[in-house]
Amino acid sequence: MDLPVIETPVFPRWVWMEEITYSHIPIATLVTAYMLLAPVFEYIGYKRHDPRWERLSKALIWFAMILFSPGAALGTGIPMFIIGTYPEFWSRWANLFFWPLIAQFIFFLVEVFFLFFLYYLTWDAWQGAKKKLHIAMGVCAAISGYLVQIVWDSLGGYMLTPGNVALPGVDQPVAWSLPAMLNPSFPFLLFHRTFGNFSYVMLLTGGVLALRYMGQKRKDPNSENTQYFHWAAGICFIIGFFAFFAQPVIGWFYARVIQREAPVAFMAIMGGHSSPYFIAKMIAILILLVVGGTFVVKRYGSKSVAWAATAGLLIVLLIVIMHPPLMWLGQSAAAWRVVSTAVVLAIIGWLWRSRGRGDPDRKGWQWAMFVVGLAAFFAFAMGGFSREHIKSPDTVYGEIVKPEWTDYEADRYLVYQKWLEPQELLPIDLDRQRPESWRSEVGQARRDGLELTDEEAERIITYLEEHH
Amino acid sequence: MILAAGSNPFIQFPGGAKWSIGFLGIFHVAVGSLAIGFAFVVTVLQLIAYFRKDNRYDLLAKRVQLWHVCIYNIGTINAIGLVFALSGLYPQFWAQIFTQFFWTLIVEETLFLMLATTLTLHYFFWDDMWGHKKLHIFMGAMLTPFFFLQFFIINGMGAYMLTPAFAEGQASLWSGTAGILGWDKLAFYNPSFLMLTLHRTAANFAYAGFVVAGVCGVLLYRAKREKIKAWYESGGRFAFKVAFISFLTLPIIGFFYAWVLKYHAKEAYDNLMVGRGDVVAGGVDWWWVKQLIVAAMVGMGLVFGYKGAKDKREFALPKSLVYTVGLLYLLFYVGMGAQMTWLFVWGSLGAVVAAGLWTVHLLNHHQGSGRAVFLTMGILSFLTVCLGGYVREASRPRFVNPSGQQQAGFNRIQQYSKVYHPAERPENIEMRMVRGTAPHVAELPERSPLVELPPETAADLVSARCISCHTLERIYRYKGTDWDRVVGRMKAYGTRLTGAEAAEIADYLAGGELQRNTSIDVNEALSSE
Repeated sequence: MDLPVIETPVFPRWVWMEEITYSHIPIATLVTAYMLLAPVFEYIGYKRHDPRWERLSKALIWFAMILFSPGAALGTGIPMFIIGTYPEFWSRWANLFFWPLIAQFIFFLVEVFFLFFLYYLTWDAWQGAKKKLHIAMGVCAAISGYLVQIVWDSLGGYMLTPGNVALPGVDQPVAWSLPAMLNPSFPFLLFHRTFGNFSYVMLLTGGVLALRYMGQKRKDPNSENTQYFHWAAGICFIIGFFAFFAQPVIGWFYARVIQREAPVAFMAIMGGHSSPYFIAKMIAILILLVVGGTFVVKRYGSKSVAWAATAGLLIVLLIVIMHPPLMWLGQSAAAWRVVSTAVVLAIIGWLWRSRGRGDPDRKGWQWAMFVVGLAAFFAFAMGGFSREHIKSPDTVYGEIVKPEWTDYEADRYLVYQKWLEPQELLPIDLDRQRPESWRSEVGQARRDGLELTDEEAERIITYLEEHH
Repeated sequence: MILAAGSNPFIQFPGGAKWSIGFLGIFHVAVGSLAIGFAFVVTVLQLIAYFRKDNRYDLLAKRVQLWHVCIYNIGTINAIGLVFALSGLYPQFWAQIFTQFFWTLIVEETLFLMLATTLTLHYFFWDDMWGHKKLHIFMGAMLTPFFFLQFFIINGMGAYMLTPAFAEGQASLWSGTAGILGWDKLAFYNPSFLMLTLHRTAANFAYAGFVVAGVCGVLLYRAKREKIKAWYESGGRFAFKVAFISFLTLPIIGFFYAWVLKYHAKEAYDNLMVGRGDVVAGGVDWWWVKQLIVAAMVGMGLVFGYKGAKDKREFALPKSLVYTVGLLYLLFYVGMGAQMTWLFVWGSLGAVVAAGLWTVHLLNHHQGSGRAVFLTMGILSFLTVCLGGYVREASRPRFVNPSGQQQAGFNRIQQYSKVYHPAERPENIEMRMVRGTAPHVAELPERSPLVELPPETAADLVSARCISCHTLERIYRYKGTDWDRVVGRMKAYGTRLTGAEAAEIADYLAGGELQRNTSIDVNEALSSE
């Protein structure tokens, strides 16, 4: 069956696709993170007899409830848009993952049941003797919500690292495949997104609560509300800040898997055509570390907090200097390591210097918290965007090409795959040749044993001459 | 990689693909219809509260809206499950229909998002917007048109599946009847679209009203204080009145809907009227069951309305309306009996009377309170919505030959050949996306007119001409032998028959050779052509 390619107005299809997806994911991740944290906060409040935790927990769930319907409606839009614009991909993909998709649907249904009927609606009624039961309902809602995320991360991971599982045709019913679900990047994507969710959601929440604190302080500096928002902003921010430090460690392993399983995609992000997005993400993280770290050590001036931040930054440094392809400074590993070490050590020094100094309750710092929250969100969004972008022009890496692929994209893919990878080169190496030398370079490489057909060689030469 | 058995090239679903889709679809329709009705009921209650300055109605509206928010999300997620199930179980059909109606679905999705956002804001900011009541009521009132626009779109696609008329899958898909790929206007505005929309609209109001009354019934059972009881009794009677008035329009719209099906989906119509195909499942004709439940609802509604008018209860129906409704339904049953079989009339009237007597008992038992009637009607209306959706989908001719035996591809007409059916999918089919125009498109036929199959035998003539107006049941039941006169009378009524054809039919019927299996095997006929 031949299906037409439906073109979209104003923007190309993939832009619309990304817009719809990126409007859903932040909402869905926010709801999931809130659902995971709310029963924990409620439990802490119950054990400590501290009503502030209960209030924070209820506020998170109330906000999750508000976001739930629009988020679910946007989520419905994603398969609808894909089925219409990428029917071949969707049909084959849904054929491979039929049962996981059905399981996801059931988890989602169970999530609503627990969240709406047994957690939200029973909040006031199930106090006192039924409090533990209420918390248990919250845990059930959180588990079912997290199961939904697990399924999507598994299916999303497959699209970048399909491993040895081919994308079946429509006439080859598979329904489910354990190797496809447990694809190489799945666990790393799952944990990276889980901690990423906690981090960005809590930093953003802390930032918003800081603005609420500012508003309440203006009305009545000593009111209970002012005290609550002051406390809640700080607690959310510090959770988000320290949750971040798991990210570089998981991210390092995740990058290694991508390097092994999807080398072309890896090159795209590490110095290739998607690297600007990755650098933008790194800048957002730098803002998060410097501004957020400064706030944390100012607000919580204890040595233990400063040492914790130092340990986190040293982990970041360790990952940065170990990361093999991050050698953009003159293609010198030593230069990269020296500069990155100097920067991280400078940040650590700055944090120790700032410890306990100044007044973090000032208006400027509340805005700074909000800016850090936005930076965290931006880093999260750029991470997702670049992850999807690096496969281009493939929809599933190495398995299916998007219908609107261009010659430019196909040739670039070929250069990464057949020119850089076999020679263990990096995209940065492409910018170090004079245009007229490419034909002879490729010819020499073929004589040295590089396997290329005549057509491939010609396409690579043309691409390199035109763009490098 | 786990593959299904080589002999069966489809994903297997426990109970069968058809039942899983049927269950998810009907569940979604039941929840979705309730949501539409709830939206309307909430607005009506808010308006009453505003104009009467009676906050009790506003409180009830808020309560209904809370349930609306909860079930709305269940409906949304159910829709996601339906999309996933259809993608996996019917990939070719689903990919094709999505491409054919892509822009329609994008508009529907946009409405869906607006609806979800408005609903959320309306409920969760109810108290915060207390000082802006008019704005708040307006926001709630916007839900009904949003729902209806969305509903309108889904009805276009659903109706297309039953009456595709001149739109043909592949040809429409590639030519785009509106000149835009992804917007098959001709298919969307298909013959049964209007009637389906009207029928479902009235049914939704009735269904939601009865369910709200049912909820009031449950709350009445639980209430202890007299003041609260009086309040729920009043709310239940109001919802019941709205529902019953909407309910009355259904047979009128249903008549015209059936009329459209008769000319554009003849076999579906026959399947409904004579209980063929998937309409009969487990030995039960579910269309009949639905009609008997409706009759019981009529009986309950009439008695409840009469007693309410007699006792001068709040929100009572006028007696004249009760009598009118009774007469209208009597005419409806007589008409249906003439079309189908008199057994239907007696069964329906029996259900009306039995339900009426039961209502008298329930009202007496509860000292005039409508709690039990509200609850029973809520449950019955839910069943009718589910069964109505089921029989509409099940009436499409597929799988089943006139003897009721399952047989793939049997008993299908030409229009349906383009709507995907898994049992007929050729093996090793490939799906691919093509930019520009696919090579085979030039070879696709232009919108061909419906294939008129020339009747070849006397049995075919009976099938093609006689049961256009009545069922074979009527022929079986005729005790006389004067078939010449009978056929002549039919000609006088308007049946188009040549003299030779009339003689052939009369001879055939007089010979007593009439068999039940009179349908034409269209596939066979087409292939022989």
